[in-house]
Amino acid sequence: MRHGLFAAALAACLLAGVPAGAQEKSGSKPGFTLPPGSAKILLIRPSITVGAQSTGGMFEPNADWTAQARDNLGAALAVAQQGLGNAVIVAEEPIGPAATTLAGYRALFSVLADSVIRYQFFPGNRLPTKKRKGAFKWTMGPGVAEIAKGTGCDYALFIFDEDQYGSTGRKLLQVFAAMAYVTVKSGEHRGYAGLVDLRSGDLVWLNADQQMGGDVRTADGAQKRVRQLLENFPGSTPTAAPAAR
Amino acid sequence: MPRLRRFALLGAAAVLGIAASVPRPPLPPYAGAYEPQSVDERGLWMQLDEAERTLRDSAFVVKDATLTGYVRAVLCRTVGVERCMGTRVYVIRDPEFNASMTPNGTLVVNTGLFMRVRDEAELAAVLGHEFAHFEQRHGLHRFQHSRSMTDVAAWMGVIAASGASYQIRSAAVDVSHSTIGSIFAFNRDEEREADMLGAKYMLAAGYDPKALPDIWTRAMDEADATSFGRKQKSHRYDRLSFFASHPTNLERATYLRGLVAGMGQGDTGHDALRTAIKPLRGAFIADQLKLNDFGGTEYLFGQLAGDAWDAELLRARGDLYRARGNPRDLVSAAGFYAQAIALDPADADAYRGLGLARLRGGDAQGAEALKRYLALRPDAPDRAMIQALLP
Repeated sequence: MRHGLFAAALAACLLAGVPAGAQEKSGSKPGFTLPPGSAKILLIRPSITVGAQSTGGMFEPNADWTAQARDNLGAALAVAQQGLGNAVIVAEEPIGPAATTLAGYRALFSVLADSVIRYQFFPGNRLPTKKRKGAFKWTMGPGVAEIAKGTGCDYALFIFDEDQYGSTGRKLLQVFAAMAYVTVKSGEHRGYAGLVDLRSGDLVWLNADQQMGGDVRTADGAQKRVRQLLENFPGSTPTAAPAAR
Repeated sequence: MPRLRRFALLGAAAVLGIAASVPRPPLPPYAGAYEPQSVDERGLWMQLDEAERTLRDSAFVVKDATLTGYVRAVLCRTVGVERCMGTRVYVIRDPEFNASMTPNGTLVVNTGLFMRVRDEAELAAVLGHEFAHFEQRHGLHRFQHSRSMTDVAAWMGVIAASGASYQIRSAAVDVSHSTIGSIFAFNRDEEREADMLGAKYMLAAGYDPKALPDIWTRAMDEADATSFGRKQKSHRYDRLSFFASHPTNLERATYLRGLVAGMGQGDTGHDALRTAIKPLRGAFIADQLKLNDFGGTEYLFGQLAGDAWDAELLRARGDLYRARGNPRDLVSAAGFYAQAIALDPADADAYRGLGLARLRGGDAQGAEALKRYLALRPDAPDRAMIQALLP
């Protein structure tokens, strides 16, 4: 019995590794298009954390790198606005009950994005209700309209970015571990961007990349990163994206 | 130590150009508008500042200015006004017994703490302990120590997987285990240090010394009551587990009792605490009941009541027994509700509980109590459901 369980666990581990390569990176609500110049988009304060990865794999937050990334990504997003073809308005920090509402929806979005990544982008792991081909049915509920009250925005854009740069020690460990036939991953670069329809609360587009390029600590790298984050953005014409360079 | 020395050298080099003076020790983190210094400290503060933005706007924060102000006043009395200026206080709706303080000065107090501290002196003991973590930069030291130890463990892992001899690989595994143990041992040492500094503050503020060990004695009693209620084995307090983040409650109670031995009585602030939590106690009790912890909750209510059960606690005890719902529990619950009603004849919820307990126990007289409930609370949200139970 114990042996059988062990074999099953081993098989599960091996199988889990296979579809990871086939994982999807983005999805959008069927039939959703955003004609250029038609919408006002509210940009919610992006969640950005940049740091190093220690030899043992711990995250070491770095204040300077994070500040650089915040500046660089902000500038790159401003440039990319032209590529989006729509007006992007940076959300102001609310006070009082509005702050609690926004905090609640930010938290809800991070859960939603994680769920989409886990249960939609990973075809082998789809929930029974998400199995129909081409279906992309996720919503935050119409109450989300409250976070854009008075701004006249049609959509809300949420951005998350986390970068861990492998330290010298980590890279050395990687080399030596490879000699002992052990795979060590150095660095981690994850991010997602999602667009929510503020009238219905539906998630209309999500792009999630667990291995992104571009060094966000530099202006050029940040532009590359933003291009990757906004890849397949509904309504961005293929020619508009290179123009953002 | 080498790290400190290196900092000292760097500092000396920086001031050499201006004046050949001895470098000053770093400012304490509570100093007015303190800015974190090293790369690690700045990174940690950046992350915690971001987390505090989320915490500040969280729906779990109890936005009660009176209670938060009271906690702040106790903290300021304990550690002094100058020190407490560098902190922000958040009361979190969480029925577990806990409080925490981050390296950037965010003090988080669970509502469950208010149910378990007997008086202001005990609250001061907990706040003093948490503040000591902040003042001594424990969060930063833990981060740095954990990083060093996981670095060593990673290298040992590579050696253990290499083609080295059996002796070497076996030694590498041993070293790796010790580094993991060291992370937790380091944590426990800092907890002891925070206990000592916190005790110093709390005693200097004139609070009752007995409060220091008493919290831990009752924490053990409550844990035992919980285990007994769940038919589990009681915790062991005579030895440490490998992964323990804190010394055992017994160890803390013992060394703190030793510390305060022979000290006279101090200010307990018993009534001040009771007055401060009174308006919210009903909500705290409701959260405690939802923990589904019969033994622990029964112990806690007994502690809160002392030798005088008030109507609110009697009703809560009735709710606890009615939720467990054995036939004998329903009889007990009805008794507690009746006592609550005797003390406060206008307690609508006690009538509701009495009626439901009696009906469930097969006593048709429960309908009378439910009618009384509806009469006392005309806008009852469950009016339709209750009416369906009436003949």
